Amino acid sequence: MAQQRALPQSKETLLQSYNKRLKDDVKSIMDNFTEIIKTAKIEDETQVSRATQGEQDNYEMHVRAANIVRAGESLMKLVSDLKQFLILNDFPSVNEAIDQRNQQLRALQEECDRKLITLRDEVSIDLYELEEEYYSSSSSLCEANDLPLCEAYWRLDHHSDPTDGLSAPLLVSPEPSTGPLQAAAPVHPHASGPGPTEHS
Amino acid sequence: MATCSLANERLRALEDIEREIGAILQNAGNVILELSKEKTNERLLDRQAAAFTASVQHVEAELSAQIRYLTQVATGQPHEGSSYSSRKDCQMALKRVDYARLKLSDVAHTCEQMLEN
Repeated sequence: MAQQRALPQSKETLLQSYNKRLKDDVKSIMDNFTEIIKTAKIEDETQVSRATQGEQDNYEMHVRAANIVRAGESLMKLVSDLKQFLILNDFPSVNEAIDQRNQQLRALQEECDRKLITLRDEVSIDLYELEEEYYSSSSSLCEANDLPLCEAYWRLDHHSDPTDGLSAPLLVSPEPSTGPLQAAAPVHPHASGPGPTEHS
Repeated sequence: MATCSLANERLRALEDIEREIGAILQNAGNVILELSKEKTNERLLDRQAAAFTASVQHVEAELSAQIRYLTQVATGQPHEGSSYSSRKDCQMALKRVDYARLKLSDVAHTCEQMLEN
């Protein structure tokens, strides 16, 4: 056949065995059912007495009914094997399932990152106000060489876990020129996007 | 839900075939039961015998079609695709969110303490 590809022997043998099982089970169901119907016909002339013939027919019908049930169960097993084979070897559907899963996960990741970036921008605005409030309040004990709150916060994170890359998407490395807080022009080294940034 | 639609369709078809096999045995039993009665209802008998035959032929056709499809599609090689990388990236994004939440709660706690003081 032009369409048939060269399957490995085991797979081809397996699929051929599935075909054979299907044909045998269907044939068994049909034959045994037909024979039961034929046996149900009452014969006028019998070789043995009616009672014996009746017993024989009864036994035969039981056996054939059991054969029909066995063939039915064998068909169910075949369907189960086909389901398993389908799940493992139906590459188009497996590829589709993987692609869809990847899309879902990527969409979720992008949404998380988008919300984190929004959060970063909002927090940078709030931090600016907090710093202003802190350094202009009378309770502030800061000296000239004290770091701004945001920078101290970032350095604390950096020193506690230098290999931690999780804070990297949130905070950008501060510029070396930022030093003590300038009361007139506070600097926000971590806000690289929109917001109160880039005060010189 | 559109996920795994192809696979689900075929699996659902196989589940329908399973139900139909049960119906085949049920019909066969009903026919024999009807035959065993003193006064048989011929119309019911014919109907159920026809249903039995039609179901058997339908099951055979469907299963042959599935096996034919698998013969065309199966390669004999294991599937090596996975969604592990995107799952890991998503996991890291969720960790980033948790970390940001933790740090924000620390800042909120610090602000509250300063307000109390």
